[in-house]
Amino acid sequence: MEINLNRLYALIYKETVQLLRDRRLLLFIFGLPILELFLYGYAVHMTVYHIPMAVVDQSQDSQSRDFIQALVNSQYFDWTMNSQSQADAGLAIDRGEVKVAVVIPPDFSASLARGDASVLIMLDGTDNAAVQSGYSAASLVAQNEALRLTATKINPGGAAGSGALPITASTQVLYNPDLIDIWLILPGLVGLILQTLGITQAALILVRDREMGTVEPILATPVRPVEIIVSKMAPLLGLCLLTMAVVVGLGVFWFGVPFQGSLFLYFWMSLLFIASCLGLGLLISVGAQTQMEASTNGLLFMLLGMLLSGFMYPTSIMPALLRWIAALVPVTYFIRISRAIFTKGVGLNFIWSDALVLLLYTLVVIFAASKSFKQRLD
Amino acid sequence: MALTQKEFIQMLRDARSIPLVVIGCAGELILFAFAVHTSVGHIPMVVVDQSVSAASRSYIEAFVESGSFDLEAMADNQADAMHAIDSGQASIGIIIPPDFARQVLLRNATVLMLVDGSSAFTSQSAYQSAQAISEAYAVSLTGQVASPLTTYIQILYNPDLKDLWVVVPGFFAMLFQAISMNFTSLAVVREREAGTIEALLVTPIQPIELMLAKTLPNLALALVNTLTLMITSILILGVPFRGSLSLFVILSLLNACCGLVMGLAISTLVNTQNQSQQLSGMVNITGMFLAGVMYPVYSMPLVLRLIGYVFPNTYFVPIARGVFLKGTGLPDLWPQALAMAVLFVALLFIATRLFRQSLD
Repeated sequence: MEINLNRLYALIYKETVQLLRDRRLLLFIFGLPILELFLYGYAVHMTVYHIPMAVVDQSQDSQSRDFIQALVNSQYFDWTMNSQSQADAGLAIDRGEVKVAVVIPPDFSASLARGDASVLIMLDGTDNAAVQSGYSAASLVAQNEALRLTATKINPGGAAGSGALPITASTQVLYNPDLIDIWLILPGLVGLILQTLGITQAALILVRDREMGTVEPILATPVRPVEIIVSKMAPLLGLCLLTMAVVVGLGVFWFGVPFQGSLFLYFWMSLLFIASCLGLGLLISVGAQTQMEASTNGLLFMLLGMLLSGFMYPTSIMPALLRWIAALVPVTYFIRISRAIFTKGVGLNFIWSDALVLLLYTLVVIFAASKSFKQRLD
Repeated sequence: MALTQKEFIQMLRDARSIPLVVIGCAGELILFAFAVHTSVGHIPMVVVDQSVSAASRSYIEAFVESGSFDLEAMADNQADAMHAIDSGQASIGIIIPPDFARQVLLRNATVLMLVDGSSAFTSQSAYQSAQAISEAYAVSLTGQVASPLTTYIQILYNPDLKDLWVVVPGFFAMLFQAISMNFTSLAVVREREAGTIEALLVTPIQPIELMLAKTLPNLALALVNTLTLMITSILILGVPFRGSLSLFVILSLLNACCGLVMGLAISTLVNTQNQSQQLSGMVNITGMFLAGVMYPVYSMPLVLRLIGYVFPNTYFVPIARGVFLKGTGLPDLWPQALAMAVLFVALLFIATRLFRQSLD
């Protein structure tokens, strides 16, 4: 019943050679995360600037121009067209030419002096950026303008701006003072990439062997099922670690994301996380008949991870049921750990509960997977 | 025809993956419906109130009443508040100094806010709402003077700012292409991996027939998927459909066709199903980013926008949003529809050539 170390070593060697021989696959495997990282680095901004805007300025006076200028100066909006009327601006939004329209009624200056001026800002509710960044930016600019105008009214001779207000709030963003997007994304992205890679590769490799019928000849030899599993997983573990090193390395050295915590701790946590993903892939491979099915399952986990793990949307405000589902996806724990070590630079005393859960998760998944795998082979 | 029938049978026999795909997609959409909150509320907040006065209490009250922040804990000092943020218990800390009440009267009070900069959505929205709430409160303290300017913000097509409404059309775009591309490529590669493609080639079957046979069943799958997803989003999730149903289905199928053809092209570049999976993953992710499915195209650098033009979703996303939510039709959307059709023909041409070459 004992595992023969020599035999195991030989098997691992065989699997590693097999993995390394498929150059094209390796190219794709490393290409995918690098591509993802660069897309996130250059294509994505959590806060969207330069939203195209149509202006209907029926007043054409200095105050209306000030207001429009304030919108443009905020960088959130680009003044890309002029419209004659509110209806025209609405049509431009219909056609998708602009995402925002600002309508300033005639007599703007005069009504400001009377204190009853109003402005209409229309946003394209079908465009996610307009809905998210556009909405808050428009409210912010409008509020600031109102504030400036109020301040000058309270205190005509004095300095304009929020200086006239009784309370000043100074805000300090911890860990990421300039709110740089890639700093926010990278720790989560590492988890997502590793999970997808680990689960799909583990599932595909085992199902492929079964589909091709290459499992039986090996089983006819004195090799034990445990040895088969270990030998298949060892090179994948190495592959995942290498991928992690590439992604973290690119993030730190190319994109300049600071690594605040202990690299040593991060390594061990990643190892644990990768093990849990491989175990999950193993479990999927037991249930799947064809590679197509295995890959569809893997895709499902990837989407679950993306949506529910807190990578994109905060978990704290999700309904309880979704949080339960999220608890079944290992990346949920790893994202918290990764952000804590990577961005916050805190130690094990802050993340021990997530680490413990991840450890239990890994043990359970690997136990269940090897148990059902053995059953299948017998 | 017989060949198409064979492919259909093969797909149906692999019956386990069909419900998986159809139900999986619908399930994914429903998950989306509940998971997606792009405008974040209930951000956990830790407060250090060193002033303990009526003024500080009403200031804190303003935050809680806004609905954007939940008072998670009170802390004794700034270090404790930092600790709460470090451990992830709170995402924002508000520190009110001891002489707050007196300074408010002198119009000189300062408050320190600490925002957790480690999680993507929360930081941004916590930062902005906190600033806005604080300023609004400060303005209200200045008393009687009403602001001379009122700004009305109107969200067209989506007055209650429902995040889901925005996401659904993009979801359609993303899914069709991903599935039709991935499955078509897998169907071809599987045959090659198993070595049965040679057997097919010795028969008098034309490459074009083989191509059709590989793609038609997936087109049918895409159609089924379109209908399931539309029913899910309209009837279960209550997303309004304002445009022409037939136009939407036709253009969705055109989009799926682009995906099928891209799948064929991918199948010629790979040898195994595993490779095919990875390569279509790469194409998908690039398409998702550059075609404006999740992030707007207009804020990207020019080079990336140019690359985006070769992805059919660049044209389908505005179509989906237009027809679904805005209720616009061909008069407004013909440029996109035309571009997509042209792109389809071009992709078809390339894929056919690649496919023939790979068979020879």
